[in-house]
Parts: sequence; structure tokens; C-alpha cells
Amino acid sequence: MLMNVQFKKGVLELCVLVLTAKQDRYGYELVASISEKFHISEGTVYPLLRRLTQEGFFTTYLAESQEGPPRKYYQLTNRGRQYMNDLVLEWRIFNRGVNEIIEEGLGYDKA
Amino acid sequence: MTRREFMDELNALLSALPDKERLDILADYTEHFLLGMKQGKTEHEIAEGLGSPKLVARELLAGYRIDQAQSNASVGNMTRAIVATISLGFFNLVFVLGPFLGLIGILMGLYAMTAALLVAPVGIFLDYGIPAPSQERLFLLFSSMVSVGLGGMFAIGLLRLTKWLYRQFLRYLQFNVKMIRGK
Repeated sequence: MLMNVQFKKGVLELCVLVLTAKQDRYGYELVASISEKFHISEGTVYPLLRRLTQEGFFTTYLAESQEGPPRKYYQLTNRGRQYMNDLVLEWRIFNRGVNEIIEEGLGYDKA
Repeated sequence: MTRREFMDELNALLSALPDKERLDILADYTEHFLLGMKQGKTEHEIAEGLGSPKLVARELLAGYRIDQAQSNASVGNMTRAIVATISLGFFNLVFVLGPFLGLIGILMGLYAMTAALLVAPVGIFLDYGIPAPSQERLFLLFSSMVSVGLGGMFAIGLLRLTKWLYRQFLRYLQFNVKMIRGK
């Protein structure tokens, strides 16, 4: 169970970092894009964003929008980008390993 | 739960934080509600998606307390960090409090031993005052020097060990928080 919690947490971290790789994003946008794909407790994304900001992986700025409230944008720092690359690499290795195990275990022949 | 209820509860739970930090956090959630409502969601739906304010507050507080203990080392801060971490779950009663009390016990034992080494010569010198065969005097003199020397070295080592343990324990707490939160 611990493994599972830790696992989900790591995945969430990976997701917010990757989502900000090409453009700055605001919190709601991040929450919405993730919970579109899988279930999360949306409220816990903000503490995660704060922690990543405190650790120097994000900087934030407020930007007005034509409609609605000003939005707090999260911008990936160089350190954050480095960290994201490490996580993505780790994820790819992990993902490939698990897929191979599943294919071998369930015995899908490439007939 | 309405937006008002969610925000009020979160605000109350975060009362221990400095105003600046607390208001900044509340602004994040206000923004979330406003944007959600713009998308046509009801306050109730948004609050539902966010999850319990208690869960949110617990994570924020645990993160904050450990930051404090790190930047400002003191017994009080350390205690608050531990209390916050313990409140994350019963699990921690065993996995945080246990090791912590064990470490305190070992440290106290070492301090007691060091104190004994430093104090021992007082007893030896009390003896030394009484006329005694010269060989025995020399032995007493040397043994008290050895005792004080060892005591001094232990004292220096122990102070370093205490600082080091403080840092290690903080890292352990951080690791622990990472394990517990983020579900």
C-alpha cells in the first residue's frame, strides 16, 4: 500500500513537470489535464506545486486574463527541467520493464 | 460542501501558518473555484474534486513544519515537525516516534557516560590529597588525565553526533511525509 501511495505521488510529480515543459501553466489547467486521464485528489496538486516551487523546480508569476481571476502560472526552471528529464528517463525504463513482464507473463505470441 | 465552507475550513486548519503563506495558499484554491465555476461546474462539484480540506491542510502543514525545523534548528521546531508528521497517521506513531525515542535514549546514555568521565577525576583528586605511595599517586594522576581526555573527546564527538542526528532525523521525516502524502 505504501508502495502504491509513493508510486502515485511520483507519477503526479512527473505529470506536472512534463505538462509545464513546453509552456507555462496555471494550477487549474494542470489539475484538469491530469484528472482528465486518471483519478486524483485534486486538492493535493497545489501542495505538490508549492513543494516543487520551494525546491526550486518552478518559479511562479501572476498573469491577468481577459475574463476571470488573475492566474498563477508555473514556469519550469533549469533545475526543474533537469529533474524532469531524470524522472522521464526513470519512468521509461520502468515502463518498458513492466510491459515486457506483462507480455511474457500473459504469453501473447507475436503470431 | 460550498466554496465558502471549503475555504473557511481550510483557513481554520491553516491558522498556524504565517498570514502571508496562508493567504497565498487560500488564493490558489480561490482561483481554482473561480476557474471551475467559469467552466460551468457547481461549487459542490469543485469541492468534491478537491477532496477533504483536512487532507490538503495536513500535507501543507507537514511540509511547512519540516521546512521550519530545517531553516531554524531548535527543539521546539523539531517537536512541531514531529507532531505534524505524527498527525499524518497512526503509522507514524510507530515509525517516527519509536526511532526518535530510541535515539534520544542512546544520546542520553552517551551524555551520561561523558559526564561520568569528566567528573571521575574529582573523586580521584579527593583521594590524591591523602598521602599515598608515590607510584599510586602517579597512577591516579595519569588515570585522571586519561579520564578527562576521553571525556573531552567524547563531548566533542557527541555534540557533532547530535547535530548530525538532528539533520538525519529531519531527512527521515521528509522521506516519511513523501511516503504518506500524495495519494
